[in-house]
Amino acid sequence: MSTTVRIKTLKIDGHDIGAREDETIMAVARQNGIVIPALCHVEGLAAVGACRMCLVEMKNSPRLLPACITRVEEGMDLTTNSERLIKYRRRILELLFSERNHVCAVCVSNGHCELQNMAQSLGMTHVNVPYLYPRLPVDASHDRFVVDHNRCILCTRCVRVCDEIEGAHTWDLMGRGIGVRVITDLNQPWGESESCTGCGKCVNVCPTGALVEKGKSVAEMMKQRQFLPYLTLMREEQR
Amino acid sequence: MTKQIVIDPISRIEGHAKITIHLDEQGVVHNAYFHVTQFRGFEKLCVGRPFYEMPSLMARICGICPVSHLIASAKACDALLAVRIPQTADKLRRILNLAQIIQSHALSFFHLSSPDFLLGMDSEPAKRNLFGVMRAKPELARDGIRLRQFGQQVIELLGGKRIHPAWVVPGGVSEPLSVAHRDQILAGLPECISIGERTLHWFKSLLDKYRDEIKSFGNFPSLFLGLVKPDGRIAFYEGKLRVVDAAGNIVADQLEAAAYQAHIAEAVEPWTYLKFPYYKPLGYHEGMYRVGPLARLNISDRCGTARADQELAEFHELQRTAVLSSFYFHYARLIEILFAVERLEQILTDPEILDRHVRAFARPNSNEGVGVAEAPRGTLIHHYRVDENGLITWVNLVIATGHNNLAMNRAVLQVAKRYVNGQRLSEGMLNRVEAVIRAYDPCLSCSTHAAGQMPLQIQLVSPEGKVVDEIRRG
Amino acid sequence: MSKPCLATVWLDGCSGCHMSFLDMDERLIDLAEKVEVVYSPLVDGKDFPEMADITLVEGAVSSAEDLEKIKHIRQHTRILVSLGDCAVTANVPSMRNVLEVDKMLREVYLEQVAGQPQIPNQVVPALLPQARPVHEVVKVDVFVPGCPPPADAIYFLLTELLEGRQPDLSALTRFGK
Repeated sequence: MSTTVRIKTLKIDGHDIGAREDETIMAVARQNGIVIPALCHVEGLAAVGACRMCLVEMKNSPRLLPACITRVEEGMDLTTNSERLIKYRRRILELLFSERNHVCAVCVSNGHCELQNMAQSLGMTHVNVPYLYPRLPVDASHDRFVVDHNRCILCTRCVRVCDEIEGAHTWDLMGRGIGVRVITDLNQPWGESESCTGCGKCVNVCPTGALVEKGKSVAEMMKQRQFLPYLTLMREEQR
Repeated sequence: MTKQIVIDPISRIEGHAKITIHLDEQGVVHNAYFHVTQFRGFEKLCVGRPFYEMPSLMARICGICPVSHLIASAKACDALLAVRIPQTADKLRRILNLAQIIQSHALSFFHLSSPDFLLGMDSEPAKRNLFGVMRAKPELARDGIRLRQFGQQVIELLGGKRIHPAWVVPGGVSEPLSVAHRDQILAGLPECISIGERTLHWFKSLLDKYRDEIKSFGNFPSLFLGLVKPDGRIAFYEGKLRVVDAAGNIVADQLEAAAYQAHIAEAVEPWTYLKFPYYKPLGYHEGMYRVGPLARLNISDRCGTARADQELAEFHELQRTAVLSSFYFHYARLIEILFAVERLEQILTDPEILDRHVRAFARPNSNEGVGVAEAPRGTLIHHYRVDENGLITWVNLVIATGHNNLAMNRAVLQVAKRYVNGQRLSEGMLNRVEAVIRAYDPCLSCSTHAAGQMPLQIQLVSPEGKVVDEIRRG
Repeated sequence: MSKPCLATVWLDGCSGCHMSFLDMDERLIDLAEKVEVVYSPLVDGKDFPEMADITLVEGAVSSAEDLEKIKHIRQHTRILVSLGDCAVTANVPSMRNVLEVDKMLREVYLEQVAGQPQIPNQVVPALLPQARPVHEVVKVDVFVPGCPPPADAIYFLLTELLEGRQPDLSALTRFGK
């Protein structure tokens, strides 16, 4: 147990809030019932600031701050929901939708997809940038799971859960820029992976229809998310 | 100089198409073509997708009869799994299918074709539509809306939504039927029966008035094809193929639908995206056959429900041979509505329908599967191949409207010859050419695995193919 | 007394959005009081009006004909509505976009047939290399996602537009609904 933890005071959306100095803006906001949207962040995994959905404004700062990886500081005056932020968040979503093939209507995650829900809650009704329609594979070589790169938003939750919680580190990234892909082992078909334990944690944390159980029909894929905070908690208790 | 008349778009049918009529120097019709002008590539765009996405993906071929595609596709997937699905799932799928027959036939008859019967083929085109029917005979429009609404509501109660429900899955269906929903559906049946009977009565009283159309509306000998049960009863969800000739004789019976390629082949013409299936033993052109309501009544020995059987007997009195005029498609459609409502009652009153076991789980155990069902417009075939991981490698679809392609072209030519006179073009004449297409109720969304809608313009084209004159209708 | 003119068109879609329009059921009768449906697959007028007040567009832009049609319609419409996922995102029709048109046509019309294999090329319009959303081709005023958008959403859309308001449909529909 550390000696003393300092408390910082700050403002979020006009509310005066006190928080421990080692907490992130995202965590503090959530404790106080303020919802900051996020696609890559998930309770129980290390934060990486990959999706930029959680950008917030700070008074007297020209820069926007990613809430999931920024620690609170004394005197911060933050806005989590402004016209400007909504505009940026919508644009980020549009880029996500345009760079892969998210055909919601015929996706197994239709109705249970965080990307889709985000579009609805932010009122994003269409994409203002040209769609790329890339040609991407579906890997169904695994006995129980499928990875469909058409639906992947590169949030890296799968990489983190496999590494941090399962300890197998089967998942990783390959390539650069828009060509980045999630891979299993050294880009072998998932079914041939020697490190994969078949635990399914990656499937359950995946926000979209990219990682799914085999045999699920359209709109049937529901993900179990509750296990993650529980596992993290139990492991910390055992340390 | 040859002239050409183009009807573009053909309206009040479901799809993208146009008609061209070719006249010779004397202004006499010497040829007519029905062009389908869209192509969407459904057989190709699903290659590489997991097979269990197919039912919902294939439903997007058509918003009018998505249920037919759901069912044919799910049956092809059942064949890939090589499982026998639970009996209750089978019955629930039948209910969904019958509900769709009701809504789609209601759409075709009331929303799309009734303006012609009620307002007349020569009436003003701006008013000749469903909204015109609402003004001229509101009770008829309301009947049509109610009947379609009933069908759509049944689909919604079972599948969760009216169009493209994701409830039909490989191995069965995803949710059982609740008592409340069953009772809700049963409560709606009496009204549908009375609408069905009322409309049949009205339509039969019109037949005398349309004697001329009946004679020339695609009235020619052809084969008829569709599914029948082992005892020769009408079949919508499953059965084997039967082929009947124009004289009403059975040419082939109880053919395994999965082996359709032994009996049916497809040809291509350069002026349409819609292929031409034909009955193989007789070859292209000679092997022309029709499918859909008229074909089903021609090939079936009986329906198996009281009211529909009575109507079927009366229907067969029209002609001693098979009933040949395409005008009677409408008549057959109304009898099928009545049958579907009666059959719904039979299935829903079976206590087994409430069983909770509605899905079989399996992995693909076969790399090839065929699924066949009777869509509102006729026999629908889905044929898939998958790799060892269950990803689609090859797809062939034979769609109801496709089967009728040869016959529709023949019908258009017949009507054009009877009503089109190159010296003078009149509204009613052109509408009759369109109306014969409407009798087939083609669903071109389906048939091109493409989509569409239709224009009417008249082009006079010289033998070199140069447009020398153009008239637009409107 | 002239009612506002409503037109509906259908490009590369499955007609599901038009069917959802008809799913307004009895509300169609009220609607017929308020608007004149002047051009639609459901009615007989073959010419697009000089100026439609509202046009609902279903489907993606997939062939040369779709392109010509939508450009013409844009010039003759006050409010252009992208109705449904195919119009808004190109949806399922866009799944062909990763394939080469020529190769696709060859396979469908040369390899999978028994009689007279050939690629149709007379009277039928040429396919564009890709199916694209409507707003990538012309300006769109209102977007209604959904596959198809539910009848309630379409009814709300029309009643709002007829009242001169910009409808907020986020509670009634979403992508893939």
